[in-house]
Order: sequence, then C-alpha cells, then structure tokens
Amino acid sequence: MPQAGPKYEPASAEAQSLTKAQKRAEGRARQEQQRAAKAAQKQQPQSGLGAPGTTGSSSSKSKGTVPKKPVSESNKTPSAAASSSKDAPTTLREGAGGLDGLSDGPKSRGLRIFSHFGLPKTPGHQIKGDIHPAIVKLGLQFSEFKICGANARCIATLTAFKMVIQDYVTPPHNTLSRHLMTHLSPQITHLVTARPMSVTMGNAIRQLKLEISGSDIDLPEQDAKDALCQKIDNYIRDRIIIADEVIEDLAVKKIKDEDVVLTYARSSLVEKIILRAHSLNKRFSVIVVDSRPLLEGKALLHSLTSTVPPIPCTYALLPALPSLITDADIVLLGAHSLHANGSVYSRAGTAMVAMLAKEHTVPVMLCCETYKFSETVMLDGFGKNELAPTKFSPASPKSNSNLEVLNPLYDSTPASCITAVVTEVGLIPPTSISSIPLALGRTTL
Amino acid sequence: MASDPQSAANQRIVEDLVSRLRRRQLVGSRATALETLLVLRQVVSKTRFSNLDQLVNVIQSVGRRLVEAQPKEHSVGNTVRKVLHHIREEYHTASEQPIVESSFSIAKFVLQGQPRKQATIPRSETRVPLKENDSNDPDSFARVLKPVLMEAIQDVFDELETVYDNISKNAKDHIHSDEIILTLGMSRTVQSFLKSAAHYRNYTVIVAETAPSYGGREMAASLSSAGISTFLVPDSSIYALMSRVNKVILGAHAILANGGMFATSGSLLAATAARSYSTPVVVCAGQFKLTPLWNLYHEYGALDFGDPNAVLGFEEGDLVNKVDVVNPYYDYVRPELLDVFITNYGDHPPSSIYRLLKETYDDEDNEL
Repeated sequence: MPQAGPKYEPASAEAQSLTKAQKRAEGRARQEQQRAAKAAQKQQPQSGLGAPGTTGSSSSKSKGTVPKKPVSESNKTPSAAASSSKDAPTTLREGAGGLDGLSDGPKSRGLRIFSHFGLPKTPGHQIKGDIHPAIVKLGLQFSEFKICGANARCIATLTAFKMVIQDYVTPPHNTLSRHLMTHLSPQITHLVTARPMSVTMGNAIRQLKLEISGSDIDLPEQDAKDALCQKIDNYIRDRIIIADEVIEDLAVKKIKDEDVVLTYARSSLVEKIILRAHSLNKRFSVIVVDSRPLLEGKALLHSLTSTVPPIPCTYALLPALPSLITDADIVLLGAHSLHANGSVYSRAGTAMVAMLAKEHTVPVMLCCETYKFSETVMLDGFGKNELAPTKFSPASPKSNSNLEVLNPLYDSTPASCITAVVTEVGLIPPTSISSIPLALGRTTL
Repeated sequence: MASDPQSAANQRIVEDLVSRLRRRQLVGSRATALETLLVLRQVVSKTRFSNLDQLVNVIQSVGRRLVEAQPKEHSVGNTVRKVLHHIREEYHTASEQPIVESSFSIAKFVLQGQPRKQATIPRSETRVPLKENDSNDPDSFARVLKPVLMEAIQDVFDELETVYDNISKNAKDHIHSDEIILTLGMSRTVQSFLKSAAHYRNYTVIVAETAPSYGGREMAASLSSAGISTFLVPDSSIYALMSRVNKVILGAHAILANGGMFATSGSLLAATAARSYSTPVVVCAGQFKLTPLWNLYHEYGALDFGDPNAVLGFEEGDLVNKVDVVNPYYDYVRPELLDVFITNYGDHPPSSIYRLLKETYDDEDNEL
C-alpha cells in the first residue's frame, strides 16, 4: 500500500505523477488533439476580447512575461486578464490553492497581497485527461455557481463520484483498492480547476480515499464498487442529512415565540431550521441581511415567504445592519468550514454580522455539521479566500487601469464573536471544535 | 415688518428652499448649507428691522422653518446658528460692547472655551453710532449694521467654498507611502482629501461600494481616474480585508456634540471592524457639519429611511408585498470608534468637539 499514505492531496503533483504509464499514453494522444483544438479556438476569442480595450493588444503581448514593477502602469484590461489566465494552463500547472504566479500579471499595479486569492475561473476551462461526463457537468455547475454552498457541493461531488466509481473498470494487473484513487485524482483536479475545493469536499474525499484503500482485495469488483457507493450514501446520510435534522431539533429550541431571528445571506441549514420552527407553529419574524456579490438572501426570502402563512420577513442590505441588530433576539448563521482555533470561514459579511451581534449582546448561533471541521488554523479571512466570478461584478464598465474590482467570497469570523456552535453532537463553544473529530472517531465513515 | 412686498419676497425664497428640502431635491450637507446661506443673505438684506432682537427673531423663524422641512439635514440648522452667531458678534463689535474677556479665569475657560479670535479683531472700522429703536429713523439701525452683516455672511460663504481645499491641505501628513486606505460611499470631502494626498504619496485605496446607493462605485471611478490605485469591493468583504488596511477614512454627515457622528450607512460597520483590528479611523469633515446635538440613545425611530426600491426592486415582484424592506440613510457612529476629525480648521479628537461647538455657536441657538 505505498500510495495509501495518510496525507496525499488530490491535486498534488505526486498524485498526478502516479498515474499509470499506460493510462497516460492512452490519454496523451487525445489530449494533444484537444489542446490543439483549444489553442486554435482561443486565438479568435482572445483577439475579440482584446479589441474593445484600447490597450488590449499591448497587454496580451506582455502576457507570460515577468510581472511588471508596481510603478509601471501596465494597462491590463479585465478581458486581457481573463484571457491570460485562460491561456495559462497550457503552460503552467493550475494548482489547487490559487494561482501563485499567474495572478501577478493582472494585478500588476501595486497590490501583490491580493495575488493569492483564487482567481475566478472562466467557464469553458480545459478538460485534461480522462474526465467522466458527470464530473465535466459538475465542474461547469461549480464554475457557473449553479451549485453553490458547502453542503450542496459536497453532496453533488459524492453523487458524481458514485457514477464515476460505477463506470470504473479496474485495468488488468491492478486492484481496485490501489488503482481507483489514481482514476479519481484527475476528476478531483478537474473539479478544483472549476472552483477551489471546499473544506467539506476535502473531508469527504479524504474519507473516500480511506475507504478505497481499505476495501477488500478479494471482493469481486462489482461488489467492491457497490460497497463503496453504499459507504458514500451512508456518509451523505449520516454526516449531512441526519446531522442536519439533529441540528434542526437543537436549534429550533432556541427560537421562541415573538422572537426576531436575524440571519445573513443563505445557509441551507439555517433555512431548514427556520422552516422547521415555522412548521412547529412558532410565531417569530425573520430579518434577512444580504450583500453583494451573490445576494443569496433573496433566495432565502423566497422560500421563507412561500410558506403558509408566510413568515414575516424584513430584508436589508449589510450596511443597514446596525439599525436592525438592536431588534434581533437571536442570530443564526451558517458556515463553510470551522477551523481548529474556532474561527469560522463563511460567506463574506458573516464576520461583521457576528461582530455587531456580539457588540449588542445578541446571541450568535452558528449552525454547522461536524464534517465541516477543518484541522487547519485560520487567523483572518485574508490568508485564504476566493473571488466571485466576474459575472457578479458591478455592471459599470471599468474605465481605467487603476481600478480593480475584487469580490471576495468568504471571510473569517473569530471565535470570540460566536456564542455557540450547533452541531449534531450538541451545542458547543467554538473553541471546543477541535475535540469533536476525536470524539467522533475520525476513522469511521 | 408687516406684509410689505419685501417680506413677501422673503417668504417666497424661504418656501422655495423648504419645498426643495422636503422633496429631497436638495441633499448633501454642503449643498444644503450653501442654499441656506443664500436664503439667509437674502433675508438679511431684505428684512426691515430696527433692533437686534427683531433681526434675530426673523432669522430664527426662517431657520426653524428650514430645519423643520428636513430635520436630518443638520447643516441647515448649523448654518442658521452660525449666521446668528456672527450677527450677534457684529452687533457687539459695532455697538462697542465687546464680549467681556478682561478677566481670564479657569471657570470662564470651562464655560466659554478658548478666547475667541474673531471677537478680538473688529471686523469693521465704521464707528457710526448704533442706535436701536430710533423712532425718527427706524431704518438707521439696519443701515449701519447690514453692510457688516453681509461681510460676515460672505465669510461663511468663503469658508464653505474653500472647505475641501482646507481639509485636504494636510492630507499628505495623514496618508503615507504604500499605505492601504479603506473608505466607503461617495463623500466629496474624502475624495478631495485622497486626491490631494495622491500628489505626494503612492498608496492604495479600497472602496467599499456601499449598497444600496453604490456611491462607492462613483468614488472608485473618480479616485482611479486621478491615478490612485483603487480596489472596489462589496461591503461584505470589509471585515476580510480589514487586516491589511492601515487606515479607514470616512466622511461625515453631521458631527455631534459628543464627538460621534452621523455618516452614510455602512460607516458603523467599517468603524466597528476597524476597531476589532485596531485600525485608526479618520473622519474628514468641514466644520459646518458641527451640530450641537446629542445622540446618546440612538433609536430606530431616529433613523432616516430611503427608498426601499434600491434594496429590493419590483423585479422581485412576488416578494415585494410580503417583505419589509429597510434602507436607512445614516449610521450613528459613537465617538469611541473614531480617532480624529480632520476639519478645515485643524485636526480634532472626538473629545474636543464640544469645545469647538462652544466657539462656533451661541448656546441660546442650540434650540432654534
């Protein structure tokens, strides 16, 4: 079991280099073909994109060169930036966590501190290697933000992996437990290229790897695949579906009659909690606070107002929050992931809601399944972040090169702003998060 | 001063401004201050009065009408107070009854603030004896006083005209090279401050776009066209970026007596986030925004609400009739969250605002 080491990342270079030689040879011919076709295609859109910006041609020439000094007013239009990052994968490896070298180009003026943010991906990104159609579709849904949210993305990924596993045939002279992961790795890489991987996906994939490497060599292939799919189903059921139900039960107790519940953006779990409280005939009202870039709160508003009778809702954008927080009795928030130091990585704006709630001594309940726990430590929302695709940027045209539009998707809430975390194992303070995986016995699915 | 044609003309211009304020056709603290001043100048020049009290009463009643038209445009009331202050001052100078300042004591210092500079310099050298309530020539009082009053009002005008330049002149002392500045909304004061600093320093501005007015977009476009490296971000990412921000620079709508301020909504979020990262918060504002008001108990009802359509438009048809939509114009930012006010007359910490107010206005005008 050489490659079943405890830490190998799906997108890491060694995982890719582990690909079997025969597999590579088989795929290479087609890759070359695709690459040539892509390159031919790209020549046209790029010149088309470069045309509207007056400086488009000069910037496309400078692409691929060393990033300019801040002083030089390198005039890069957004289209040029997009095209250069689209071109790049042919020459540079597009890694999992942000494009280190690449993003210096477009952000040439001054702030390299933003360069590590994952750049928004162009939807028609390249398909490298033998990618299952379900994964290709999922990749598009991810990059288009059709599937968005930690839970939804995790469930979608696992469901797609079930199809990949069912369609997988172990090549001769190989065993499923050793080879399947090398087959899955490029699929994972493809998803990561579409959009940086969520912590939930990472945790689920890690678990899946464990299961694959632990599957019985003597089992017939179909049985082994069925067993794996069963494990995936169990994971979705235990860690997400059932966990959500338990969290609903716990959180709903905290909503009392005449309460005003404040929430930010849209968390699938918070939505379920509010709907459950409503179905229990609790009389309360909801304040939905929302903000660009995604304005997800509107979707929440739709689902809350379509109940019978509709839940009384107030809607406001984030700057109005200070005027509304005084009315709130409880703040319910969702999370993307929870980190070992208790900080919460969640939709941008969550930190300010929690901060202001703390200021006004309104309890902040963070609703979050334990599978969102990440062992890493997060000190601020700056170290790791992701940018929203350009389609969420304001419509106003960018008139000059000094203006850069930045739409970070996440921020990090310090543990001090969170009153309690509602998990399926109970209500715990955020600083005790690190004891949860141990308590759950991390090795079980 | 009955219903003569002149007071009718006064009535007309006052009514005109009142309706424009009420319909929000005129917004913004500097614009309203300028218009108020124009009206007051007109009123002073047209009104017939034979003693100080008459004039003050006229100005006060005009001021009251204007303030009631739009109580949230605090600079209207401030301008009225300032003019009243100048009128009294000129009267005292003209009637050779300078404000008694011969004996300087700590008690007086506490009561009256620092000795007034204006009071010591006589504005006018005309030494025509000032006679109040002259029954033979009722207009003599006005005839003597009006020119100096016009001069005083012109001074207030000049102050408003030059307010941006005066605030910006020390900008380079506040912004240093390679700093990252966060600002939000569209404030002309902040805009000229940042542009002025850009002549000397190479720095970066992050502008939060400030929904739902999205004034930040306008601001970002203007700053970047002046050659400042600008990043436009949604309001939601203020906290995430705050750890890299060196300074938060905000505009004010009104500066309150306790050192707090009313500012465009979003300011409180930025100021609170700044405090959690111990980032200094700098406010740029002209002294015409000094308001002798206290806001110790900020109530929901004290807010001023804007058009909900900007938050949730009618394109969300089925939502509109089921949902309350809130769009407050202003935040109240407490003095503890602010570090300094950069005004056209120097930099002041929030704790010394009350003293500035004592110097600028007369106590009896606090309630118009």
